[in-house]
Amino acid sequence: MDIKDIVFRLCSAYGASGDENNAAETALDILHGFCTDAGIVNGNVIGNFGIHQEGLPLLVLDAHIDQIGMIVTEITDDGFIKVANLGGIDRRLLPAQQVIVHGKKDIKGVICSVPPHLLKGGSSKVPEFSEISVDTGLSRGELEEIISAGDTITFDSPCRSLLNDRISGGALDDRCGIAVILLALDMLQGKKLKYNVSVIFSVQEELGERGAKIGAYRLNPDIAIAIDVSFAFAEGENRKKCGLLGRGAMIGISPCLSREVSDILISVAKEAEIPYQLEVMNGLTSTNADRYSESREGAKTCTLSVPLRNMHTPVEVIDLSDVRNMASLLAEFIAEQEH
Amino acid sequence: MKELLKELCMINGVSGDESAVRESIIEKIKDYCDYRVDNLGNLICFCKGRKTSGKKVMIAAHMDEVGFIVTYIRSDGTLSFGEVGWIDPSVVIGRQVSVGKNHISGIVGSTAVHNLSKEQRESAPEMDSLYIDIGADSAEEAEKYVSLGDCVYFDSEFIEMGSRIKSKAIDDRAGCAVMIRLIQEKPEYDTYFVFNVQEEIGLRGSRVSAFSVEPDFAIVLEATTASDIDGVNGGERVCSLGKGPVVGFMDRSTVYDREMYRLAFDTASELNIPCQTKTRIAGGNDSGAIHLTKCGVRTLAVSVPCRYLHSPSCVIEQQDFENTFVLVHELLKRVHEL
Repeated sequence: MDIKDIVFRLCSAYGASGDENNAAETALDILHGFCTDAGIVNGNVIGNFGIHQEGLPLLVLDAHIDQIGMIVTEITDDGFIKVANLGGIDRRLLPAQQVIVHGKKDIKGVICSVPPHLLKGGSSKVPEFSEISVDTGLSRGELEEIISAGDTITFDSPCRSLLNDRISGGALDDRCGIAVILLALDMLQGKKLKYNVSVIFSVQEELGERGAKIGAYRLNPDIAIAIDVSFAFAEGENRKKCGLLGRGAMIGISPCLSREVSDILISVAKEAEIPYQLEVMNGLTSTNADRYSESREGAKTCTLSVPLRNMHTPVEVIDLSDVRNMASLLAEFIAEQEH
Repeated sequence: MKELLKELCMINGVSGDESAVRESIIEKIKDYCDYRVDNLGNLICFCKGRKTSGKKVMIAAHMDEVGFIVTYIRSDGTLSFGEVGWIDPSVVIGRQVSVGKNHISGIVGSTAVHNLSKEQRESAPEMDSLYIDIGADSAEEAEKYVSLGDCVYFDSEFIEMGSRIKSKAIDDRAGCAVMIRLIQEKPEYDTYFVFNVQEEIGLRGSRVSAFSVEPDFAIVLEATTASDIDGVNGGERVCSLGKGPVVGFMDRSTVYDREMYRLAFDTASELNIPCQTKTRIAGGNDSGAIHLTKCGVRTLAVSVPCRYLHSPSCVIEQQDFENTFVLVHELLKRVHEL
C-alpha cells in the first residue's frame, strides 16, 4: 500500500463539513478492500473489519472525513459569492486565497482582497466572514446556473511533496487519519485480533464532533481510538503545546481519556520499538474522543494524533513517517501476539 | 496573446533575478529588432520602422515580479525570508511557494490559529512571523537545497475564470506580452522597446535605461490596481475590469503629460474601444523615474486593470488586455504627431 498515493487520493476529494459525500465515497472505495460490509450510514462511513468473534471487546477506530471550508450564503448582483465558515478557519489568510466552489460542477475562484497600494496605512485588517466574497469571473446569471446557497467551498490547494517524507495540503486534517486506519487494516489482514474492530470515518467533526456523536451511539464500542491531528512544532511556536514532525504518533493522555488505553499504547510502542510522543491535555481533547467516552454507558477512549503544522490552513504539513508509525502502533495494539 | 501571457507569467523573475524572463523575451524578439542588455539587466531593443519623425519614442514594461528572498535558515530547517516588493503579508500566509533555481517546493507556515490569542487572530500577520517550510528537518539538511539569497516565488496556476485570467506575475508580464507583440508586428516608426528590471523595488531599472535611451516620449505599459470588488463602491474602486485600458492623469509618482493623456482617450474613442482613468491617486510605476530623466520626458502610462495586484492571484479581463494592445498600437503612431 503506497501511503503517499492514498493520502493524495483522499485529499484530492472534497468534503467540507456537512458536504462530505465526495470524500466519503473516495474513502469508502478504499475501505471496501478491508471491510466488505462497509457503507455510508447517515453520512458516516462505517465498516466492520473481518468477521467479529463472540466475546471479544469492540474497538472502534475513528477518523473524521470532513475538512474545514466555507458555505455559499448568497450571490450578489455583481456576481460575487458571499460565504459563511464551516469550522475554525484562520481568517488572516483568506485575502487573495484560491478556492473551489462545489456546485453542479466545480468552479475555481479567488477571495477578494485589496492590494497594499490601496490599503489605508498600508496594511490590511483581518476580514470578518461577512466581508468575505469570492470572485469567480462569472456573472450572477452564469453563477446561478451552477451554484446555489448551501453549496460548499474548499481551498484550492492540492497536496504537494516536500523534502523527505513530508507533504503539504489543504485537507490533511484529517484525511491523514483515514490513511492511518486504512494502512493499519492492511497490516492486520490475516492476523488474529484481540478485538472486534469497526471503523468509522465520521462527518462534521469540525462543527463539534457531530458525526461521531451518532456514530458512537450506533457502534456502541468498548474501546474507541480517535485518530486525528495535533500541533507540530516549528521555531517560534510554544514547544509545550506541540509535538515534533517525524517523531511518531502522539499518544494522548488526559483526565477525560482512558489512562489504561494510553498506557497500553505506550507499552506496545516501547515493546515494538515504534517511535511515539506524548500529548498531555488537561481536559477535553476537542477531538471525536470526547464523544465516544461519554456515549451511552461510556467507552474507554484514547487519542492518537499525527503531528501537523499550520492546522486549518491550505498548507497543512505532515511527515508520512508519522502516518506509517501510527499505523504500525495500531496494528501492534490490535493484533494478538503470536508468541 | 493569452498563450504568450501564460508563458511569461509562469516564468519566475523576482526583482534582481529577472534573467529567465529576459532570456525568454530575447528568444521571441531577436529576429525582429536590435537589442542589448545593460549593466543592470535591462533589455533595450530598437525597432527600425518604415518611417522616422525625428522624435524618439520609448515604450517600456518591467520584467520583475514581487516575491521573496531567503534571509536565514533556522535550526529546525525552516526558512526566514524578506519580501521583495510591496506585498501584504495577508496574501503570503498559507500559500504554496517555490524556492531558488531548483524550484524546491515549499509552503508559507505560521502558528496555527488555535494557538493564537484573540488579539493575534484579529491582527493581520507580520511578515516576520511567517516562515517557509520545505520539509527539511534541520538547518544542515535545508542548506543542501537552499542558499541564503535564493529567490522565492508564489506557486500559482494560470487559469481562466470565465473570460478572465488568474495568475501570478500579471504585473507586469502583461505589459511585456503587449510589447513583444508590438515588436513582432513591426512598428510604423522607429521605436525603442525597453524591458526593465527592478521596478518593484523602486523603479531602479527604468532610471538607468531611460538615461541611456534618452527618449522624447515614453509610454509605460503596466498592470494597475482595480478594486471593483464587493463592498467597494464609487471612486474607491479606482478602476474596473472590463472597462478597458487604464490611462491615469496622476498617481503617486507622476503627473502625466496632459496632451498624451487626451490623445489616449481621443484615440480610444476613435477606435471605439473602452478606456478609463483611475479615480484615486494611488500606486506608481516606472513613469516616476522615466519622466524625470535628464531634461524630462513626456510620459504616459497605459495599464491593464488588475484585481488582487501583488498577490499570487492577479485577475484580469482578457478583453482589457487585448484592447490595451490595440490602443497602444495606435498611440505609437499618433504620438509622433504631437
